[in-house]
Amino acid sequence: MAEAVVRNEADQGPTSGKPASANRRQYRPPKFLPLWALIGGVIVVALIGSYPYYGSSAYVLSLLGKFLCFGLFALSIDLIWGFTGILSLGQAVYFGIGAYFVALSLKINYAMDHPTRYGGKFPDFMEWNGLTELPHFMAPLVNTPFAVVCALVVPTLLALLFGVITFKRHIYGVYCAVITLAESLILQDAIIEYQAYTGGFNGITDYSNYATPAFLWFILAVCVLFLIVSRALTHSRVGTVLKSIRDNDVRAEFMGYNVANYRIFVFCVSAFMAAAAGALYAAWVGIISFLDAGPVFSIEGVIWTAVGGRGTLIGPFIGAFLVKGAEFFLSGALASWWQIIVGGLFIFVVLVMRDGIVGTIGNLLRKWRKGATLEEVMEDSDRRAHDRQLDWQPGGPPPADEPVR
Amino acid sequence: MLQSIITQFLSGFSVVAILVIAALGLAIIFGVAGVINMAHGELIMVGAYTAAIVGKLGGNTFAAIPVAFVVVGLLGLVIERGIIQWIYDRPLETLLATWGVGIILQVLVKLIFGPELYYAGAPKILEGGFRVIGRLPFPWYRLFLIVMAISLLLLVFYVIFKSDFGLKVRAVRRNRAISGCLGIDTARVDMTIFAFGCGLAGIAGAVLAPIKSVSTTMGFPYAVDSYMVLVLGGVGSLWGVLAGGALIGESETILSFIFNNVIGRLLVFLFIVVIIRVVPRGIFGFYERR
Amino acid sequence: MRVSRRRVLQSTGGGLAGILASGVAPYSFVRNIVKAAESDTIKVGILHSLSGTIAIIESSLHNAELLAIEEINAKGGVMGKKIQPVVEDPQSLVQVFAEKAKKLLLEDKVAAVLGCYTSASRQSVLPVFEENNGVLLYPTLYEAQECSKNCFYTGAVPNQQLDDFVPWIINTLGRKKFYLIGANYIYPKETNREVKALLQKHGGTTVAEEYSPLGSTEFSTNINKIASSGADIVFSDLVGDQIVAFYKQFKEFGITAKDIPICTPITTEQEIAAMGPENAVGHYTSFNYFQSVDSPQNKSFVDRYKAKYGKDAVTNAVMEAAYFQTYFLAQALEKVKSTDADALIYEGLPGQEFTAPQGKVKIDEKNHHTWLWSRIGKANEQGQFDVVWKSEDWIRPQPWVPYLYPNKTCDFTDKRVLDRLKKPWSAEKNRSGTIDL
Repeated sequence: MAEAVVRNEADQGPTSGKPASANRRQYRPPKFLPLWALIGGVIVVALIGSYPYYGSSAYVLSLLGKFLCFGLFALSIDLIWGFTGILSLGQAVYFGIGAYFVALSLKINYAMDHPTRYGGKFPDFMEWNGLTELPHFMAPLVNTPFAVVCALVVPTLLALLFGVITFKRHIYGVYCAVITLAESLILQDAIIEYQAYTGGFNGITDYSNYATPAFLWFILAVCVLFLIVSRALTHSRVGTVLKSIRDNDVRAEFMGYNVANYRIFVFCVSAFMAAAAGALYAAWVGIISFLDAGPVFSIEGVIWTAVGGRGTLIGPFIGAFLVKGAEFFLSGALASWWQIIVGGLFIFVVLVMRDGIVGTIGNLLRKWRKGATLEEVMEDSDRRAHDRQLDWQPGGPPPADEPVR
Repeated sequence: MLQSIITQFLSGFSVVAILVIAALGLAIIFGVAGVINMAHGELIMVGAYTAAIVGKLGGNTFAAIPVAFVVVGLLGLVIERGIIQWIYDRPLETLLATWGVGIILQVLVKLIFGPELYYAGAPKILEGGFRVIGRLPFPWYRLFLIVMAISLLLLVFYVIFKSDFGLKVRAVRRNRAISGCLGIDTARVDMTIFAFGCGLAGIAGAVLAPIKSVSTTMGFPYAVDSYMVLVLGGVGSLWGVLAGGALIGESETILSFIFNNVIGRLLVFLFIVVIIRVVPRGIFGFYERR
Repeated sequence: MRVSRRRVLQSTGGGLAGILASGVAPYSFVRNIVKAAESDTIKVGILHSLSGTIAIIESSLHNAELLAIEEINAKGGVMGKKIQPVVEDPQSLVQVFAEKAKKLLLEDKVAAVLGCYTSASRQSVLPVFEENNGVLLYPTLYEAQECSKNCFYTGAVPNQQLDDFVPWIINTLGRKKFYLIGANYIYPKETNREVKALLQKHGGTTVAEEYSPLGSTEFSTNINKIASSGADIVFSDLVGDQIVAFYKQFKEFGITAKDIPICTPITTEQEIAAMGPENAVGHYTSFNYFQSVDSPQNKSFVDRYKAKYGKDAVTNAVMEAAYFQTYFLAQALEKVKSTDADALIYEGLPGQEFTAPQGKVKIDEKNHHTWLWSRIGKANEQGQFDVVWKSEDWIRPQPWVPYLYPNKTCDFTDKRVLDRLKKPWSAEKNRSGTIDL
């Protein structure tokens, strides 16, 4: 008969005399929106949104809006990759479709008031491609709100289609990545080919853009909204299931969760987000081309997420701002050297800083404040649970769980 | 008209050869080592630049082939020891890391050589063509490409399936731990096979340089095509490389003739996506690596 | 992942604020210092692709402009200050052109931009220039049907190139069955329209018309079609890398220039150098300038270019335009003694003259285009062109092709245009100088 193992005082459970906060290595789940995050978020939003009032450069203003859209796009990638483990190299498909709907609508409206060099009251790229008037199937796009709705709904439906076909057949991992890459290429090639309808290689240019301070606030509002939605999603039970799918989908399947459905769901949500980012981008920037729907842009989004920190929500924004920001402010020869640094950064992030910038900062902070990283805390918790199992005496009370505070 | 179609079909063989040559290096790295190498296009590009330099120094394509093999193989060695060896167990991360490597290679080559196009010529002996059918001659160089593709396939087959080294490679891929216990130096095997794959990419670059132009961005389309070939044909299978290359090459050529280049390519991609839905592992994808 | 969400939000809430604060402050500081240091130079933007599919030709424009700036600075600069080039590389991507143009105008605040090659890139940057009232000098031949207040076109328009080339092909070369092949964007499409109109006028026929996406390099299918179509001349508006691939594969298939010559308004000595002269022998190009032009200005120009860029460097028509347009700009700045855009546009640039390597050139007083010479060259074994035809005098530019648009013209001295230009940009967004006759 095994002797009762002398236990640590700390393991005595709620009846122990020690206050809970003294046990710093115990796991406490995070709150939905801690005060720190709220204050920090408000400061950042205020700083960005009020730039037009204290800043003087119109160029920086245009960049801010752009980067926010990029950050939102990266966030959509983070949702499916950082939280659910689906690597899609074709996320730009949804971004691009959203962008093209909005851009086409704005361009059609613009052309009605600003005739082309030949006098036509429809987009100039259609004219030099030989069309004589606006194609009938594009007529509904004159109504911009309708176009915005299309911009959001069509990519989501497309994602639903892709998701059903791909995830129900359990295509995952590398194959999923390559298939989505192919889809992105198909869209890019189609855009270039059917240039009578899409502007082709030139893209859609020269329509009124909305690069005003008010619109910047609007973009900020949308970003904050999506951040909150993402937080709600990832913080909930659904989020936990998604993370378990990311960590081991076979196990999740065995636990009874319909992995394919969860994947399809999060894929659609992320497509909606990417489409929203694209729509905002088209309205803000005033020029759209096939690049925004192609594989290079998709992979860039993955890079920003990886650099910033996948599995975090702010990470994608930081990654986009950091990588793109430097690129935009450097010119000439410096830009080439920056490219090398960026390439090195990816390698560095993969090899060393696996959680990205935000993730690593978070790890360090946690270690400093709590004395342990989450990994260590979880190991500790596992070890204590294991000990409780070992200490169980036959006939005695079942090993109790640790209370969660 | 019939003559044109037949000529088209025959020239499709050379397109197939190009695809096979480009994809073989990736087939080794992706299929055998399990690394998603996004720098494959850039490795081909380095091979092409090597050929251009060899050309400037007075050599021709035949001389460039071994030089490119060695140069890019050594480069592959460096990449493997420096980066890849730490991340074999995380395939999706190899994607990111090699994307970074690709960017660095592109920028370095641009900084060293400048952005202008380089000119790598075909050897004089291979210029011109011979009449097969119809008005247009079939270029000797394209025939050379077909011969090259077959030889490389046979070479890889011999190395992987008939040689001692190949046995070790297959053993390590099946079960790394036991192979290590049996005395196989797994690190050495990893290194060598990765370098071999990169060397093949270098040969591809040297051989493909004369027919297209040599520039820093020439690599990406080849990389994309190689992935399509592998995904369609099945990763980890040499028959797959041939099958994938043949299907894609011929379909693209024939469809381009009927419609045009872009629609041809578009349809081929759609075709691939559809096939993958039906056969997720690719046509010959028996030897699946999880 | 492994990190507590709360920690992350906490840390980054503060962190991002910190990053922004710490980033914006030193950045503004540095910018101010740099601005102060630069107040004794005149900044001129250079917006040419140094990478990507068009870099093969566009990098030579960049080189020529830098050479011109160097020469101007050596003679004392402009208004007593040196010209400082601000170089941006838009990587042959239309979207990036617009972004970099914005940066040059808004951030670097350049006096003018020398830029663009493809019409696609020009069309994407023009709205930026028009909205911010900048000045763009565009050195490339193009399809015309345009004149913007904020752009000065120093490249050839069809009546300075095609109008003589197509009849020459039909009459002197005796080829009437044209196979048109081009890149898939506005310039080749418009140009082919003009070619077809000229063919109708002069008795040629169009056998087929094909377009290939920019950057594509596989032409075996097209060449197959050309061979089986019965055409006796290929009129090519392929651009950039495509030219090299097309000519190479054309020769590979065994078609010589005697069977079916390739005639183009685009292929220059630069592309021939990249593809190897043996691939281009016997084919024809029409341009205002060739490196083989026999004049003292040209010999000196070629020598200076080779001195700076290596003895294997070649010159071509588009970079020659880039070269003399830099001199136009310098002369204009000197004339109005300011970098104000309107001063340059209304007084400085119109009417400027210069003795260029091709001959005397002048910016027309009314329509922002340039008086140029027209030549036709046949490629030879050394990679140069033998000039087989030359116009007798310089040709006045007509921005609206008269046989397609007889009732339109471009005139910036016309009252209707001046009234239109007085209105603010937001009213009509129209800065064109086009009027109906």
